[in-house]
Amino acid sequence: MNWTKAGKVVATLGTVLTLAACGNGGENSDASANGGEFDASQPINVITREEGSGTRGAFTELTGVLVEEGDTEIDNTYAGATIQNSTNGVMTTVAGDQAAIGYISTGSVDDSVKPVNVDGAEATPEAIKDGSYPIARPFNVAYKGELSEVAQDFWSFMFSAEGQEIAVAEGYIEAVADAPAYEAAEGLSGSVSVVGSTSVTPVVEAMAEEYQSLNPDVSIDITSNGSSAGMTAAIDGSADIGMASRELKEEEAAELTAEPVAIDGITVVVNSENPVEDLTMDQVRQIFTGEVTEWSEVVE
Amino acid sequence: MPTETSTLTTQKTRNTKQLSSKLIRLLVYLSAVVTFGSLLFIILFILVRGVPYITPSLFEWNYTTDNVSLLPSLLTTLIVVGLSLLIATPIGVFTGFYLVEYADRGNKIVKAISMATDTLAAVPSIVYGLFGMLFFVTFLGFQYSVISGVLTAVIMVLPLIIRSTEEALLSVGMPLRQASFALGAGKLRTIFTVVLPVAMPGILSGVILASGRIVGETAALMYTLGTSTNLPTDLFSSGRTLALHMYVLSSEGLHVNEANATAVVLVVFVLVINALSTYLSKRLSKGGK
Amino acid sequence: MARKYEGFMKGVFFLSAIVSIVALILIIVFMFAGGVPFMLEYGLGDFLLGQKWTPSNTPASFGILPMILGSIFVTIGAVVIGVPIGVLTSIFMAEFCPPKLYKWLKPAVNLMAAIPSVVYGFFALQLIVPIMRNFVGGTGMNMLTAMILLGIMILPTVIGLSESALRAVPRSYYNGGVALGSTHERTVMAVLVPAAKSGIISSVILGIGRAIGETMAVVLIAGNQPIMPRGLTFGVRTLTTNIVLEMAYAAGEHREALIATAVVLFAFILIINSIFLYVKNKEAK
Repeated sequence: MNWTKAGKVVATLGTVLTLAACGNGGENSDASANGGEFDASQPINVITREEGSGTRGAFTELTGVLVEEGDTEIDNTYAGATIQNSTNGVMTTVAGDQAAIGYISTGSVDDSVKPVNVDGAEATPEAIKDGSYPIARPFNVAYKGELSEVAQDFWSFMFSAEGQEIAVAEGYIEAVADAPAYEAAEGLSGSVSVVGSTSVTPVVEAMAEEYQSLNPDVSIDITSNGSSAGMTAAIDGSADIGMASRELKEEEAAELTAEPVAIDGITVVVNSENPVEDLTMDQVRQIFTGEVTEWSEVVE
Repeated sequence: MPTETSTLTTQKTRNTKQLSSKLIRLLVYLSAVVTFGSLLFIILFILVRGVPYITPSLFEWNYTTDNVSLLPSLLTTLIVVGLSLLIATPIGVFTGFYLVEYADRGNKIVKAISMATDTLAAVPSIVYGLFGMLFFVTFLGFQYSVISGVLTAVIMVLPLIIRSTEEALLSVGMPLRQASFALGAGKLRTIFTVVLPVAMPGILSGVILASGRIVGETAALMYTLGTSTNLPTDLFSSGRTLALHMYVLSSEGLHVNEANATAVVLVVFVLVINALSTYLSKRLSKGGK
Repeated sequence: MARKYEGFMKGVFFLSAIVSIVALILIIVFMFAGGVPFMLEYGLGDFLLGQKWTPSNTPASFGILPMILGSIFVTIGAVVIGVPIGVLTSIFMAEFCPPKLYKWLKPAVNLMAAIPSVVYGFFALQLIVPIMRNFVGGTGMNMLTAMILLGIMILPTVIGLSESALRAVPRSYYNGGVALGSTHERTVMAVLVPAAKSGIISSVILGIGRAIGETMAVVLIAGNQPIMPRGLTFGVRTLTTNIVLEMAYAAGEHREALIATAVVLFAFILIINSIFLYVKNKEAK
């Protein structure tokens, strides 16, 4: 084995890396390089969430993708749709793909994707509140039987003016109008466990932080592992409070006391290169069921 | 093969021979470049994406939605790794002692144990995760907690520690043991005072690899440790390790930059662990000879 | 007294050794108890061969054939990509690499094995997916993307085992080849590689196990459509991703169906592992 050969290997390695590193730098500016050349004849890439997701449940129900007939419920989501199991997965995919369309929690929308108006209404808190933006769902919190003294106090905090203000500050819509002011109880201590939806977690987490700063001896443990897991935990008593980003199922509602703590819109998002501004509810349904497959059918 | 004059044939054979040798060499080198190029590239990629987002606020004591601190997860990672190794190391090392020093090779129990170890090593983490959820979390009622996560991790890394202990013990020469016996030392004494010190670096390198596996684990811990952002207060409270933290952050979609920064910390963690393990196994190969 | 202690410690060592067996039995019992009742109730044939996975419909369908095929295809692809590169790299490590470089490359292989799956997944999501999108079109999340990523991820497994198999071949084989006038390259290929065959095969089998069991990386980049695989440039869902995608929100029958999916995955792994042990035993004889 001689050294020139080894040297060559190292040199090649270096070259590959440099090339790769440049490729990386170029990749970010990729989207803007293609700017203005949106090709409306390309097929629509539908991005959806996984079965069982609270966001998907609410979206399919509200848009009519889910069809209920007597005892049967059929989710007609286009079978070729790409499935992402997180808000971020949907956003990254849509941000990187000109032809993609997806839906995410309104609180999570940022500059990387472009929100689309539905039936002429923008997904603003006002439009969601007055019902002109049609796709919104409650964030529920629930408990079984009686809350402990500490949990009860945290519960009243969530539904107080202060708690609801936090929901608004986080980009969601308050669930209780004219909520009463929170009155801090003296000398509370202990811990409260809150388990459930990953979508609801950011709101309750922010509330818990504020609450803990008011009541330093109380610790609020939040585990985010999904709506159903949260409801199950609340039912079997392993959590004081459960969180769900969907309506409660019948068997859950029978066991639990639930109340919406905030309202969240679901925003339809497309790539920022996509010229589409406005879709009707029916177009949204047709896109997500695969009846409309090409952008030219919805972009003028 | 063409049938011209014999000298020409030899000439041609030599040419094809050289050509195929060159081709082999090219393919071998190319593969090595692809392998190590992709490794270097992945690491560089993570660093370039994440380093700009490493800020002091990521290391604040309490996690809040503002600072998205990774310190609680970092500490939880250390707690989970520490506790898991505390349980798994003696069990693994003792198993190694039993297999190498006590049991007869080819004995049925030894076969069963090594088959079980091989099988455990092949079980995917998602299966460990679901098992931990069904057994520790639900059946034993431990809930999402440090103890559920730790016990699941123990079973997961046990094969790693058993294997490296076995190899390290086997690499210790028989004469060393015989000399110790000849001096009147009992078996136990021989193991602890003569064999173990020599085999120690090998065992340690296995233990360190095991800690690396736990640090990088997501699927198995997601369903056992839970994902609470708080620092666990006792064995029965939930927490999240760094890898889980990174996964959860990016699922929420609100803190992608912080997820990138977490990836850097994670990769550095793994780098350090591996360097340590390499260093120790080098010492073993020197000590063994 | 000392003798008593010896006996006691021997007992402790034996008990420790039994832990792995107990753990394996517990895993098998709990997984099967969690999944098999559902399979029987739903119908084993309908579950394994059903082509429709629509858990939130009423009535729901739980057919996992698309995922079984998805796992198999993706794994085959990973092997086609990863094995030649891995085996050739192991040949490089064992026979072509200067010792000074080897000192760095060997730990590099170990490091490659230690990088967390989540990190691999994010890397692929941010790099391979956009490249795919440019070349193949669509979302870039397809079977080919998953195959390439898994091909990279099985490299350390394949390299590590193949390399030790190559190194275990007696040096006299190599010397014989060279003495007969063969070049270094040809001797390695014609003599050493065939002699290390069974070790290389076990490395491939372990690689298959790793590819089929990988979860967190694949879920980010495979597209995850629960429909029958349609080709390299279309999305695909595997057994592992089916579990991790839906477990968080699943309840009741849906949850049982996911545990049953894990049982099928586990059965796959047990089969692959038996083949591995069989090859390994044959090698030992």
